[in-house]
Amino acid sequence: MSNIAFNRLQRECKEVVTNSEISETGIMIEILNENLTEIKGHIRGPPDTPYAGGMFDLDIKIPDQYPFSPPNVKFSTKIWHPNVSSQTGVICLDILKDQWAASLTLRTVLLSIQALMCTPEPKDPQDAVVAKQYMEKPAVFKATAEYWTTKFAKGAVKNAGYQALVDKLKDMGVREEEAVSVLSCNNWDINRSTVYIFS
Amino acid sequence: MDDEDMSCTSGDDYAGYGDEDYYNEADVDAADDVAVTPTHSEEADYECLSVNQVERVFIDGVNSLVSRISINEKFARILLQANHWDVDKIARLVRNDRNDFLRKCHIDAKPEPKRKLSSTQSVLAKGYCSVCAMDGYTELPHLTCGHCFCEHCWKSHVESRLSEGVASRIECMESECEVYAPSEFVLSIIKNSPVIKLKYERFLLRDMVNSHPHLKFCVGNECPVIIRSTEVKPKRVTCMQCHTSFCVKCGADYHAPTSCETIKQWMTKCADDSETANYISAHTKDCPQCHSCIEKAGGCNHIQCTRCRHHFCWMCFGDWKSHGSEYYECSRYKENPSVAAEANHVKARRALEKYLHYFERFENHSKSLKMEEELRDKIRKKIDDKVNEHNGTWIDWQYLHKSVSLLTKCRYTLQYTYPFAYFLSATPRKNLFEYQQAQLEKEVEELAWAVERADGTARGALEAHMHRAEHKRQTLLHDFFF
Repeated sequence: MSNIAFNRLQRECKEVVTNSEISETGIMIEILNENLTEIKGHIRGPPDTPYAGGMFDLDIKIPDQYPFSPPNVKFSTKIWHPNVSSQTGVICLDILKDQWAASLTLRTVLLSIQALMCTPEPKDPQDAVVAKQYMEKPAVFKATAEYWTTKFAKGAVKNAGYQALVDKLKDMGVREEEAVSVLSCNNWDINRSTVYIFS
Repeated sequence: MDDEDMSCTSGDDYAGYGDEDYYNEADVDAADDVAVTPTHSEEADYECLSVNQVERVFIDGVNSLVSRISINEKFARILLQANHWDVDKIARLVRNDRNDFLRKCHIDAKPEPKRKLSSTQSVLAKGYCSVCAMDGYTELPHLTCGHCFCEHCWKSHVESRLSEGVASRIECMESECEVYAPSEFVLSIIKNSPVIKLKYERFLLRDMVNSHPHLKFCVGNECPVIIRSTEVKPKRVTCMQCHTSFCVKCGADYHAPTSCETIKQWMTKCADDSETANYISAHTKDCPQCHSCIEKAGGCNHIQCTRCRHHFCWMCFGDWKSHGSEYYECSRYKENPSVAAEANHVKARRALEKYLHYFERFENHSKSLKMEEELRDKIRKKIDDKVNEHNGTWIDWQYLHKSVSLLTKCRYTLQYTYPFAYFLSATPRKNLFEYQQAQLEKEVEELAWAVERADGTARGALEAHMHRAEHKRQTLLHDFFF
C-alpha cells in the first residue's frame, strides 16, 4: 500500500472514531489489521425503515490504488434490500463503482450506504427478487426486511407468523438460513417453498 | 521519417505495390488489360498520415472552431472530441445554450476560476489536500472548477486512470465534479515522468483519432500510420508503409460486396460457439424423463439414460418396456406423429446445414487463395525461365502474371459473396444475386483452370477468360455493392 493510502486511512479512521459518529449518525469503523487493508464497518439501521434497531456489519477491503480506486465494501450481516445481494451481501452503489472520486472517504461511503438503506433504488437492483417484491408487494417486503433485521442484525421486531413458517421448514431438516431465504424469495408461501427446496 | 514522404493518395504510383500483395491492387490494373471500365472504384479516396501530420489535422480543427466561437483552445479540443469534430454542430449548440452545453461536455469555463474548498477541507488548515489528508502544501494545482489537490495526488490519479486506459476523460478528483482535465494540465502534472507521459500521449492520440470520423489507425501490426478518408462506403484502403489492406469503415479485411455489419455478424458466427448450440440441437436429444442431454454414440436405438436410468427408444421417445414386441412401429410413417419435439431438431439441423453450406464455400475459396499464392510463384519462375531461354521478353509474358492477379482478385470477391448470401432473405433480389454469384463462380473456375495450364500458347483464350471473369465481378459489385 502506498504512503498516501496509509496516511489517509489513519486520518479517516481517526475522523470516524473521534467524531463519536456512532451516537450521532450511527456509523463506526473497526480496524482489523495493522496495515489497514481490512476494516470492519458498522451501520446502525436508520429509524423509520425496516432496518431500524438493527446493527449491520460490513467488510471493507482497501485496494492498493486507494484512494484512486474505490474500497471494496459488502455487507457481512445478511440484509433484505433491493440493492444488496441477499446471498452475498454485494452492494450496488454508484460511488463504489464508476462514480468513485478520490476525495470521497470511508465516512462518506458509509453514510451513502446508510442513505441507500433509507431510500432503495429498485430500478437499479442488485437482487432482482427483492426488488420485484419491493415494487409489487411493499407490505411483504417491509415485513420480510424487518424479519431479517431481527434474525440477523439483532433487531427487536418479532414476527411470530414468519417464525412459525421457518420452524416448519426447519422441522423438515432445512437449515435455518436457507429456510428464511427460500421463504422470503417465495413471498412466504410455504407450499411453493417446499416444492422449491425438495424438487 | 520525412512527413511528406508518407503522404500519398491512392492514385499515385500505386501499381508498384500491387505485386507484393494480390488484393491490394488498384482496379486500374485489370482495367488496362480487360476492356471493362469500372464505373466505380473499389478503392477509397484516402491519405496516409504520420502522427505529426495528424496533429496538424487536430490543430486545424481547433483553429476552425476557435474562429467560429469564443473559447479557449484547451477546451476546444475537449469539445471537438466529444462531438465528432463537427464544428457546425458545436457552434449551433453553443449559441443555443452555452453553459448547459459546456457542462454536458465536462467543461467548466467560468471566466475566473475561484478556489473552492473541497468538501472536507473547510475546517482544516490552508494548504491541505483532502486526498492524501496532508497539509502544508505551497501549491495545490486545480482545474477550472477550482478543486485543489496536491501535485503528488494529481499524478497518482492520472496514473491510476491511465492504468484503466482512460486518457482524454480524466475527471477532477472531487466527488460529483465531472470536469475533464485538459491535456495541457495533465502534461504539466506528469512533466517529470517520461514513461507516463509517453503512455498518456499514446492513449490521448488513440482517443482523438477514434473520435474523428475521417481518421482511422492502420490495422497493420504496430503500424503508426493513420488513414484519413471521407469515404462513406466500405471501400478498400492500403497502407503505404506496411501495405496492409483493409476496409476503410470497419478495419476488417476488405469484404465487398458484403456490408460491414453483415461481415461482423458472419465473423462472430464463425468464431463464437453459437454453432456448438446448433450442433447440440442437431445431434442430441433430451431424455423424455429427466430431460438431460444425450448424444447417441453407438448404433443401438435402445437408450438408457445414465442419469435417471430410464430406458427409451431413440426414434420415438417411447418407453422401451412397451416397445419390446412392437418395435417396428417406429419405422412406420405416421401422418400425425406424436413426436412433436422432433420438429425442433429438424429445424436446428436445417439451420446448421444452411450455415455449413455457406461456410464450406467461404472457407474453400480462402484455401484456394492461399494455394494460388504458390501458383503466382510458379508463374514468376516460368516467366524467368522463358526469358532466360530467349523465348520472348519479360514484358511479353507479363499477361501471365496479370492473369493470376486477376484470378485472385475475382476469387477474393467471390469468397465474400458467401457471407452476403447467407444473411440475404429469400427475395427475388436473392435469386438475382445467386444467379450472378453462380456466373462468377463458373468464370473463376474456368479462369483458374486456364491459368494453371497456361503454357504461353493461348494468350487470346486466356485473356478472353480474364475479360469474362472481371466483367462478371464488376457486374455483381455494381448491382450489389456500389
